[in-house]
Amino acid sequence: MFKSIRQLHRENQWTAFEAEALPHLSALFRLAMWLVRERAEAEDLVQDTFTQALQSFHRYEKGTNCRAWLIRVMFHINSNRRRASARLQIINETDERIAETAAFDPPTPQGLTEEEVLRALRSLPRPFEEVVLLSDIEDMTYKEIADTLGVPIGTVMSRLHRGRKLMRAELASYANSRGIGHKTGEPSASSAGK
Amino acid sequence: MQCREFREVADSYLSDELLVETNHDMIAHLEGCAECRRELAARRELRTALRASFDKAEELQIRDQFADRVRRELRDAAMIKATPISRRRVWVAIAACLLVAAAVALSVVWQRQRAQTPGQIAGGNRPEPNVAQVKPTDIQPHLAPTAGDADMVLAKMSELAAGDHRDCAINHRLPQSPIDLEEAGHKYDQAFLNLKNAVRSHLTDSNAEIELVGAHACIFKGRWFAHIVLRHRGRLASLLVTRLDHAEGSPAQAKSTEVDQHGQIIACATASGYQISCLRTARHAIFVVSDLAEGENLALARGLAPSVYKHIKSAEDIT
Repeated sequence: MFKSIRQLHRENQWTAFEAEALPHLSALFRLAMWLVRERAEAEDLVQDTFTQALQSFHRYEKGTNCRAWLIRVMFHINSNRRRASARLQIINETDERIAETAAFDPPTPQGLTEEEVLRALRSLPRPFEEVVLLSDIEDMTYKEIADTLGVPIGTVMSRLHRGRKLMRAELASYANSRGIGHKTGEPSASSAGK
Repeated sequence: MQCREFREVADSYLSDELLVETNHDMIAHLEGCAECRRELAARRELRTALRASFDKAEELQIRDQFADRVRRELRDAAMIKATPISRRRVWVAIAACLLVAAAVALSVVWQRQRAQTPGQIAGGNRPEPNVAQVKPTDIQPHLAPTAGDADMVLAKMSELAAGDHRDCAINHRLPQSPIDLEEAGHKYDQAFLNLKNAVRSHLTDSNAEIELVGAHACIFKGRWFAHIVLRHRGRLASLLVTRLDHAEGSPAQAKSTEVDQHGQIIACATASGYQISCLRTARHAIFVVSDLAEGENLALARGLAPSVYKHIKSAEDIT
């Protein structure tokens, strides 16, 4: 008849978790699916993420960005799973070096399809893909991205800059191949060099 | 601000991550540069398109069944099952309880060990533990209401007397064999000389049903006792006399105890089921120990007290 204090505490915790965290379930699944690409693996990752988040929910500061907190939990779990792969790190370093060499800053093409936009994002090296994803899609701040990836804010900023530049270059190549130009005027050589 | 600089930070501007001053510079540049306005609008549009594409991409959508299962399992985990952290807390709580229990047990053991020293029982100043066989918890001094320092000395010494009675008269297991009382009188304490005769004459005069079983001097826990073993009502009783050292038996202390100067014996303590009645002179403590009832033991002691007190007092006066 009477609920124990422990039971009430559990109910309250669940109510708070249900209200704050569960609305982000679909968004986190999309992110997980994008990162791991396999549905079964993505479901495992999301399940583990929410289970871990429920257990650690007392650490979540109410009023802060719960979605960013959940994403951080998910990246932590996912990075632990991938940690064994030393090869990945080598590839990342190579990608960083390639990105450094992309000096040309192309204008942003318009009139592209959704599929082309996603393909351009997918074409990015993983470190740049992650920061663009977290910034432009998940709308996380530089600080939240830095905390999630465990890198300095300066690294986030430079990766974002390079990643977006690479993405624009990729999109420009799609646009050129389809004969799509800019809606209003191409950036002139003079304006690019201003 | 130049167009190149504008494009460098255009995305940060869209993310609202720029300093206020830089924002002002951006706005100022935008007002005069149509090309950068278009570029900014294109980037904003690309960002919107990217987000929309991502949100709508069919292959990225969650299955309803999976979403329902996750919700259900999480709810079960939250409401019914203990989470791993909860379990960890339970174990921490159990460990804390065990620690507290261990601390309490150690405290009890420590208290008992402290209580085994007679100084702790009577609040006195004896440094060495004694009477190992006498359970300290059994010792219950019940001194006269006017008991002072002299009585406390007797109370402490009574534990030794009880131990000697048990180990010598009852169990015959003293580590050192007793010696003749007269010999001890010559060697250690002249008050022991003729003590046996003093007791015997009392027994003869009083016609009491007390049998003199034996007399000797024995050492218990480093202290010499004149030990007269008696039998009364089928029970063994011990009359024990020991000399007090300077700290225990200063004349000033003895004189301050009026009852002692009159040779009045008092019920002193009980230890391990033994009744102990005691009396002191200026330099000696006298005990009667038995497992008789308290009143019987006290009566026995009171019967013996005048002749024993007189004998010891005379010896002290001579020396």
